[in-house]
Amino acid sequence: MADATLEASRIAVEFAGLRALDGVSLTLRQGEILGLIGPNGSGKTTLVNVLTGQVRPSSGSVHCAGEPITGLAPPAIARRGIARSFQIVRLFTNLTVRENLEAAAVAQGAGRREAAVRADLLLEEFGLAGYRDERAGALSYGDERRVEIARALAAGPRFLLLDEPAAGLNEAESDALLALLAALPAERGLGLLIIDHDMRLIMRLCHRLHVLASGRTIAEGDVVSVRRAPQVIEAYLGTAHA
Amino acid sequence: MPWRRLALSFLLLALPVLALAGAVQFAQSLLLERIAITLCINLVLVVGLQVFMGNAGILSFAHIGFMGVGAYAAAVLSIPAQMKGMALPDLYPLLEGVAVAPMVAILAGVAVAALVAALVSYPLMRLSDAAAVITSFALLVVLHTLMLHWSAVTNGPRTLFGLPKATTLGLAAGAALAVIAVALLFKESRTGLLLRASRDDEIAAGAIGVRIPALRWRAFVLSAAIAALGGGLWGHFITSFSPKAFYLKETFVVLGMLVIGGASTVSGAVLGTFLVTLAFEGLRAVEGALNRAQLFAGQVVGLTEVALACAMILFLILRPGGLLPTAEIGALRRTRPESDR
Repeated sequence: MADATLEASRIAVEFAGLRALDGVSLTLRQGEILGLIGPNGSGKTTLVNVLTGQVRPSSGSVHCAGEPITGLAPPAIARRGIARSFQIVRLFTNLTVRENLEAAAVAQGAGRREAAVRADLLLEEFGLAGYRDERAGALSYGDERRVEIARALAAGPRFLLLDEPAAGLNEAESDALLALLAALPAERGLGLLIIDHDMRLIMRLCHRLHVLASGRTIAEGDVVSVRRAPQVIEAYLGTAHA
Repeated sequence: MPWRRLALSFLLLALPVLALAGAVQFAQSLLLERIAITLCINLVLVVGLQVFMGNAGILSFAHIGFMGVGAYAAAVLSIPAQMKGMALPDLYPLLEGVAVAPMVAILAGVAVAALVAALVSYPLMRLSDAAAVITSFALLVVLHTLMLHWSAVTNGPRTLFGLPKATTLGLAAGAALAVIAVALLFKESRTGLLLRASRDDEIAAGAIGVRIPALRWRAFVLSAAIAALGGGLWGHFITSFSPKAFYLKETFVVLGMLVIGGASTVSGAVLGTFLVTLAFEGLRAVEGALNRAQLFAGQVVGLTEVALACAMILFLILRPGGLLPTAEIGALRRTRPESDR
């Protein structure tokens, strides 16, 4: 199980003639943290949407632990152990914080009692126990973000894809989140993919980086080498510096 | 799961029903008994609608159609054999000799409606928002048209009569209590929790693995079965009816009760039913008094509908979630101060 991978190969996505992704291949292993970075509009969110079934690729394939999952609907993919958060937080606003987490556990087949136990453990771990019975729609922005990640974990995923988890957080909140996320792969044996524009967070957190620009992979590998790659510097800073 | 809050909610909702039934027993008034039975049947219908609408978050117009299915199916089975020749002249010979106890007939009606709902609604549950609402309205029209024209089992647009009067206050109140309990339990069940999640955000629900259409289907079938129970009870209370009893007017009344009380909670459904039923009886008395006093040149009619329409409009503008929009009555005290923020 420890070696299972979530693997996208030669993914292309077209929206009304526009190529959002063009032959992108990416592998996420259990136990690692992979940073997916790139300028705005480079196709990062689209790639996550392909991996979780929200977007059907025009060509290419996705495999989870060797099993093809290309083109499956989101619920079917979620049931294979792939969880995600959204760029713009999507909580069940009229449910309590605890019910948000319970729903994720129940959707994976847990009974209500087991779901409640799992939810309470995660709320404790995420420092959210005080908001247990609050309506999720009444939380502050930073707390919403944490609830969304906790909810994704309540499903007990093998792979967790986070779309800009630190967006809108202040430095202290961002540091707290970093500590929490850094521990996840070892604790839970899951593969973590993170999209973020906060380079400080990405550089400190990730084991490997995958860089997209205009829908193509322009670099991948360990943090140090990717950071020095001329094509990455060019994509981020413009050609004059190359 | 908050079992204690759930039990408390049930007790608090059962109390007014029991109090009303007790008061009627004590007062020995036929008028009061009629009002109490009507109220209990309304509770069955409105709480039944809440099971689907409150959890799935989709407005359904078809509900009263299933009330009609339950009423007619029960009637066909319970009308005494010697009455059938007059009541249902075109009835299939196979069913002519059938006359079972009203309770059995009502339960059979529930089963028939559940089966019809299960078959018809399966493809419809993929729809959301306006498309779902419009198809549910179309379903009501289809069911109504069937009742109007399937003379063999409905006597067509003419009044169907001859049902034994079997719905006592005890039976109606018992059914109302049972339906309230079922609705509270369903809301807290795994299906109920996931449906409420999908009501808030379909995309996020899909992303945690919720298969929304299958869950909506369960709620719809349960809701239709409860509507049919209400229909069977009503049929054996009123003893004669025609298809127009199960159409727009009744749909509007039941929706009004649910919207005013609060569709998201069982407590809201119960509260709305009590308020609107009692207001209706009051307005009807006013209407009768006005007509007897002959203050106006013509007869005063439709006061109840006008008042309900105005109340609905006011609620939708001022308090769209209804009187009890989020918390069940047994959980109301838990609104804590923000001190531990």
